[in-house]
This record gives sequence, structure tokens and C-alpha cells, in this order.
Amino acid sequence: MAIRREKAERLADEELMPLIGKKDPEAFEVFYDRHGGVAYSLAYRIVGEKGAAEDVTQEAFISLWRSGARFDSTRGSVRSWMLSIVRNRAIDQLRSKAGKAPKLAFDDEAILEQRPAPEQTEEEALERETASEVRGAMGMLPDDQSKVIELAYFGGFSHSEIAEVLGVPLGTVKGRMRLGLEKIRGELAEGLA
Amino acid sequence: MIDDTTNTWYEQLAAYALGALEPGEAAEVEAHLAECERCQAHVRWLEPAVRALPEGVERRKPPRAVRERVMTEVRADAKGAEQSERRPGWLGWLRSGSYGWKPAIALAAVALLAVAFVGYEVGSNGGESGGPVVVGTQEEASGVKVEMLSEGDGGTLKLEDLRPLPDDRVLEAWVERDGEVEAVPALFVPDHEGRASTVIEDMDGVEVVMVTHEPKGGSKTPTSDPIVAMDVPQ
Repeated sequence: MAIRREKAERLADEELMPLIGKKDPEAFEVFYDRHGGVAYSLAYRIVGEKGAAEDVTQEAFISLWRSGARFDSTRGSVRSWMLSIVRNRAIDQLRSKAGKAPKLAFDDEAILEQRPAPEQTEEEALERETASEVRGAMGMLPDDQSKVIELAYFGGFSHSEIAEVLGVPLGTVKGRMRLGLEKIRGELAEGLA
Repeated sequence: MIDDTTNTWYEQLAAYALGALEPGEAAEVEAHLAECERCQAHVRWLEPAVRALPEGVERRKPPRAVRERVMTEVRADAKGAEQSERRPGWLGWLRSGSYGWKPAIALAAVALLAVAFVGYEVGSNGGESGGPVVVGTQEEASGVKVEMLSEGDGGTLKLEDLRPLPDDRVLEAWVERDGEVEAVPALFVPDHEGRASTVIEDMDGVEVVMVTHEPKGGSKTPTSDPIVAMDVPQ
């Protein structure tokens, strides 16, 4: 018996997962509506084109639907788990299309869909605040540090590959990665931790 | 004060957290983490920064069609999961002729469409190492390319060059074993590039794999001509 949508909307992601594990489409629809936007945005950021981003998003959510029962709440949030699935699939797709270089620019200009304030949910507001905070933290990094982090996370490059692409010693890449990541961590509010 | 050794590990840990280590290096870091509480704490501290990275990407609204495709497949899948009873025999269904097409013609078409099965290994990891093995490939008269992979007890049916489906239709796969036809529980739809795949969890004794167009939610027995029919070599 599927849960009613109104009831599902009141549940946290972690409470939806057991229902999704039992193949409840209403629970899954609520989950998609909460996270489909960020999932598609991440996929687009990595693969750089609409059709491929759509496919990655579709495959990632179907994969999550079929493996929902395996979610382990002790290993992070459902959202992080879902985004890691999206990232892995997007990187796989990027790699499978030989000769297609990852998109490297990190656009600091937020082009969030504008809607009247009363229609924004508390969750969306928090999401925007988080997005703004992360962009701020990335924006504060020197270019050489943000670039190695982007190449690693959004491009799926190993540190050795990054050293080769940028023509700098491996030790330099490692140092930049560490400094950059530690600075981002330091900038993030404790609420994100 | 952090010593040089810890500094070296911390550099590896940042790359590890970002997924930027080669597999061998990652295994080395994991072995170290198992013994070093300080490094465990440092990775835990770094993780929120990595988890936050996707939150900073420029927001784009996903096309409505993506939601529809996902939910079509999910609803069909949910309904299919409820259908656990075994289906009547495939041959019986063919003989019934209740769907407006001639069984004999269909069987002949299946035979004509079947192409060679080569049973080659996929890449260097197939066969003996337990990776997926291609057990059959063919191209249907409609242009749909079919590849059947076997791995362990199960298999994956991969289709390419599929035409888009109407909103109210899904793909449903069927297997025949011991003269009986069973639906594969997971219904599926083609992606943006006309590709689709479905997992067949138990390939033991499967002689034929077929795919039909079915109404949303799937069917207990096939209601249309097969768009794919592949004999599975035993």
C-alpha cells in the first residue's frame, strides 16, 4: 500500500528510504521532487550538455530506486549518497565519450530559478544558503587551488592526471588540493558538518 | 605541531577525499586509516567540504520529461514487483493468437532475426575473472541492437537504437524456461539516446529472452508483438 503524497512530504529523506526500499512510488516521487534539481545540475556541470545530463539523472534515480533498501544512514545523508551516485555516473559517461573534455569553468554567478518568496520552502531556502556559502568558499580560493579541486571532483581526474594536464609536479597538485579543501572546510558553517 | 610524515598523509587524504587517487594509492590510504586515528579524524573533518561541492553548482531546472520518464519507470517497476505469479507458457501465448498476429509468422520472424552468438569476453575482465560475458548480440529487423550479457547467475539485456515510447507505454522483458514464460519484474523505458537495459536476476535455464511494448504498469502476459526475441545459448 503506497503512502499518500501529503504524508510522504512531511517525512525526512531518511524516513522515506525504508518506504522506497519497499517500492513505494509516492515516497520516491517526493524524494525526486526534493533532489531532482540538484542532481540534474550536478550532472550538467560534469557532462556539460543537456541530453547527457538528463540520461545521467534518470539512470541515477532509477539506480537509487532499485537499491534504496541498501541505504546505510550511518554513512551519510541520503542526499549525499544520491549525489555521489550522480557524480559517479556522470564521470563514467564523461570517460566513455572519448575526446570530450570536461567543462572546467566554475560559474560563480548563481542563476537559481526565481520564484516569489512565499513559494520557497524552508528546505529550498537552506539549499540556496548552502549553495551560496559553497560558492563563496570556492570563490575565495586562489585559481590554482580551485582548479585542481574542480578537475578532481567535476572532471574525475586523478591527481597524477591533473599534474600532467596542468604541467606541474605531482607534489604541487597534492599541496594545492590539500590547501584548497582545508580552506573550503574552514569556511563552511558548522551546520554543514 | 604536525610532522612531515603527517603532512604527507594529509596531502594524500585530501586527494583521497576528492576521489583523486589511483586505486593502488587509495588502498594504501585505507590501510593507513585503519591504524591511524588522527588521520581518520582528519578525513572525517574534510568530508563535509567534499560533500558540499555539488551544492555549489549553478542550479538548472531539470526538464519535466526527465521526471516523467523516471516516474513512469518507477511506477511500472512497483507494479511489476507485485506480480510474482508465474506467467503461462510463452508457446501457449504464441499459440493463443489472442493479440491479433499469427504465431507461426512470429516464430519464423524470431528465427530469422536471431544472429550468431559469439560468447566473447568483455574487455580483459570477462570470463574467468567473473566479469560480464557477452552471450549473444543481434540486430532486429527494426534496427534495434541487442546485447545479452551474463554475469554470475544473472544477466543484463542491453538495447540500443530504440524509438521513443508513447507516454503510456513501457518496455517489458520476458524470459522463457522449461516452456513457461515469466515477466522480468523491472519494467524499463529508453533513455534520451534510445538506449535501455534491464537486469535478469536469474538466468538459469532461460532459453529465450523477449521484449514487448506494454501499457504503463506492465502486463501479466505479453500484449503486443515482441520487438526483441533472442535465443540464449545453453
